[in-house]
Amino acid sequence: MGLPPSMQVEESEEGRILTISVGPQHPGSGHFRLVVKVDGDIIVDADPDPGYVHRGEEKMCEYRNYIQNIPHLERPMIADSCGILYPFCLGVEEIANIPVPERAKYIRVIMAELNRCIFELYWLGIYGIFLGHSTMFMWPMGDRELLIDLAEAATGARVTHAYFVPGGVRNDLPENFKERAFRQLDYFKHRLDQYKDIFYNNPLFLDRTKGVGVLSAQDAINLGVTGPVLRASGVKHDIRKIEPYDVYDQLDFEVYSMNTGDSYARAYVPLLEMYESINIIKQALEKMPSGSVRTKLGPNPRGPAGESFKRVEAGRGELAYYLVSDGTAKPYRVKMSVPSFRQIPAMSYLLKGSKLADMPAIYWSLNYWPVEADR
Amino acid sequence: MSGAGGMFKAIESGTKHLIVRRFTLRYPEQKLKFVGDGYQYDPKQGVGIAGYKGRHILYHDKCTGCQLCAIACEGIAEAIGMVKIDKTWNHNKKSIMPQIDFGKCVFCGLCVDACPFYALFMTDDYELAAYTKEHLIYTPDQLAVKPKYQGNVEIKIDDQGATHG
Amino acid sequence: MATVQEFSFAEFVKSILWLTFWILVIFTLILLPIIFIVLFFVPAPEIAGIEMNPYLLLTMMVNPQIGAPLINLTLDQPFFKVAVFPGFTFAALFATAIIFVERKFLAKMQIRVGPYYAGREVFWWARSLEGLLQMLADLLKLLGKEVIIPAGADKPIFWAAPVVLVVASSALIAVIPAGPGWVIADIDVGLLAVFAILGFFPLTALLASWASNSKYPFIGGLRALHQMIAYEIPLILSVLGVVILSGQLNLSKIVVAQEPYWYILLLPIGAFVFFITALAELERVPFDLPEAESEIVAGWLTEYSGMSYGLIQLASYIKLYALAGLFVTLFLGGWMGPPPLAFLGPNAPSGVDMFGVELLSTQEAVGILWFVVKTFGVAVLMLLPRGINPRIRIDILLRTGWAKLIAISFINIFIALALLYLGVAGPAGPVGVISP
Repeated sequence: MGLPPSMQVEESEEGRILTISVGPQHPGSGHFRLVVKVDGDIIVDADPDPGYVHRGEEKMCEYRNYIQNIPHLERPMIADSCGILYPFCLGVEEIANIPVPERAKYIRVIMAELNRCIFELYWLGIYGIFLGHSTMFMWPMGDRELLIDLAEAATGARVTHAYFVPGGVRNDLPENFKERAFRQLDYFKHRLDQYKDIFYNNPLFLDRTKGVGVLSAQDAINLGVTGPVLRASGVKHDIRKIEPYDVYDQLDFEVYSMNTGDSYARAYVPLLEMYESINIIKQALEKMPSGSVRTKLGPNPRGPAGESFKRVEAGRGELAYYLVSDGTAKPYRVKMSVPSFRQIPAMSYLLKGSKLADMPAIYWSLNYWPVEADR
Repeated sequence: MSGAGGMFKAIESGTKHLIVRRFTLRYPEQKLKFVGDGYQYDPKQGVGIAGYKGRHILYHDKCTGCQLCAIACEGIAEAIGMVKIDKTWNHNKKSIMPQIDFGKCVFCGLCVDACPFYALFMTDDYELAAYTKEHLIYTPDQLAVKPKYQGNVEIKIDDQGATHG
Repeated sequence: MATVQEFSFAEFVKSILWLTFWILVIFTLILLPIIFIVLFFVPAPEIAGIEMNPYLLLTMMVNPQIGAPLINLTLDQPFFKVAVFPGFTFAALFATAIIFVERKFLAKMQIRVGPYYAGREVFWWARSLEGLLQMLADLLKLLGKEVIIPAGADKPIFWAAPVVLVVASSALIAVIPAGPGWVIADIDVGLLAVFAILGFFPLTALLASWASNSKYPFIGGLRALHQMIAYEIPLILSVLGVVILSGQLNLSKIVVAQEPYWYILLLPIGAFVFFITALAELERVPFDLPEAESEIVAGWLTEYSGMSYGLIQLASYIKLYALAGLFVTLFLGGWMGPPPLAFLGPNAPSGVDMFGVELLSTQEAVGILWFVVKTFGVAVLMLLPRGINPRIRIDILLRTGWAKLIAISFINIFIALALLYLGVAGPAGPVGVISP
């Protein structure tokens, strides 16, 4: 069978292997390139190729002072823009010894959980696209509006909030935020219940994700994955419980895990996490004390020379920042350790030996966000 | 294909949603209402006042030309430049005021946080589209104009669904 | 970058005059002689005792009473049936309406608004029918786009494939009866002709994908080939029950044979299998693997842009109308149905007539109405799975098509044979148990 000349074919002993570049401009990959070698319909080798959107975020941090870094550092993950710079604020507060008022801690927890839900809904919507389910794209995007409306009432912007600063948050919540939040969160919970019938219990969805891309607990630990992927493989590991930061130790919530480790579990655990996030936000809104929300600082806060390492449970997994300060107003080194980059070995491992049609289901279920992985 | 019962439940759920109200905001016939009139900052308290981060508004009777907003923006987007103005004010000896390039501005509001004189705030106006890049540079006189934005809908939730109304 | 030309009113008027000039020239120098040559050979009909000539045509435009017999004559011509109803124009309009309904229906299921702004400011009564002119806007957009041909593509086949698709889809509608006597080709092997034409589609999909000379269409074309071939056999087998009970392959006579009971009541399993395999033949969700966007960009139609793409979409939706019409004909009693206004008694409007000349008899008008309503309902039902299901995987698809659906359609055939021998239904009507 003579193939058109545009395809690279390598003859090997097992058969003919076709190299497909699921490239950076592909509706099924985001800004990320995956070089896949297929033999018929089975993937023989998958080589992730990140770096398409690398901008040098960490280097650019060294030219900005700590306050100016805030709009800059929220860009790797604009859908979760409070969570991506949470450890940065915690690190600066540790280096420069800045106290944070109680009310600010509660507001930070509320906004971080809200951003987690916003990101999980976006992720679920794109998962719907990858599997060809257009309703599962439209419903989460529509329900995301309820939460983005709350975020916009609190911070003034829909995404890219620029809300957390070292020392607290930039402004207090508006007056009727609590009633509005309760009303919209109750309706959001009612909407989450609707997802189960049409998506999670749909026999066609189950056919495509049950038993696909199984990651055992030991393999998950060995490969170094974090977040919902780890919890879907049976390892109950959540930074909010292990090293609680801000007021997570005063709030009552559960950590869910499933022990099947396939793509269905990796898609179901975020749904459970969203229910828990609603729970956490409501508790925090009830328990919030009154007071100030920001410690008054100068325009160029600085601390003594030192370093700090802080980690946080973002929507994708464990996000860590390593900050080195040399006594000036600009940081000496900012190192971001992002969860998306950690899932790349698991991607390569899971894709080998699976079918080509399973590639979207496995790839996106690993919670990979290309812009964050490339920084 | 397993689970005919699951398929029936999915079909039932899908058709049930034919009577749920549609959620879309029909812009420009409907525009979102915002609470308050824009993000503001109180330098005495050191904390901001919640509001929407739209176009900036500059109060000419308060601005002293101290350039702190331009210095704050230098590390972020370099969108603020100081220009000479024609009118002379008593409190503005150098006669300079900020002009903002909305092609570069990221609407983070840190310039508002930097102003110590209650002169620079943000408003509800986000309809800033222009035909050329030069039209996006707002001079201090353009920045002094109060916006005419009228929002008329917000999210309403009732037992037939959520809608903008 | 090229500079945009400034609009000049003089140039605009000049271009309109140029266009008008050429239209007049072509009309007088070419078209009128052709009309006269045609009229010279074709025997002209008689209207009110006078033989037909172009001056009579112009008179008819102002005096419709003379024109009624001519309209009656036109409706009887085979050309009218092929071109207008139930032929290509009707199918294309139906397809366009179905695309619009699909977009609004899916949007409603997804709690959003579909097309909204097109046509909103044009008519005051269109404000409640949001987005009515969206299909026109899409057509104009597609006509204005450039058709990009990939390097190394097989040019003749690349240009011909969408046209062949439209031709094959339109050929399917030639045997579907839209009313009593309203069928283009009343042949005794109508059902067999349908299957012969349906067997043509895997070939066109493969040609379109091969001619594109690119990786993604290649994979998509092979998938389309596998899918359509696998689902043709259950399609044919599920219809076999209908053939057994009616003893006919002529679609008009199958409609008439459903006089006492529609076949969906006697053979529900066959109807279900036909519906599922029709979805697979149409490449609709959940069977839209050949154009699985997330894996292979757009499958075998990736490289088609502009009006080539528009033709492929038109072919796809005409095929939807054809298969929905086939479902109605075989299982839902075709154009049969009670006269809707019969409760008005003897004063009920009967048929369509114009100045005393009867264009459509009562039976024909009622039949056409019921056919259109039923086909529309079945087409909307075919749109429903798109809002509910994700895409199915290729190995599950092939397993279902080759194993499960064939088994179920054999059960259907046994049920049909049982009904035949029990005398409940059959070519000779209900006759009681046939003694051996």
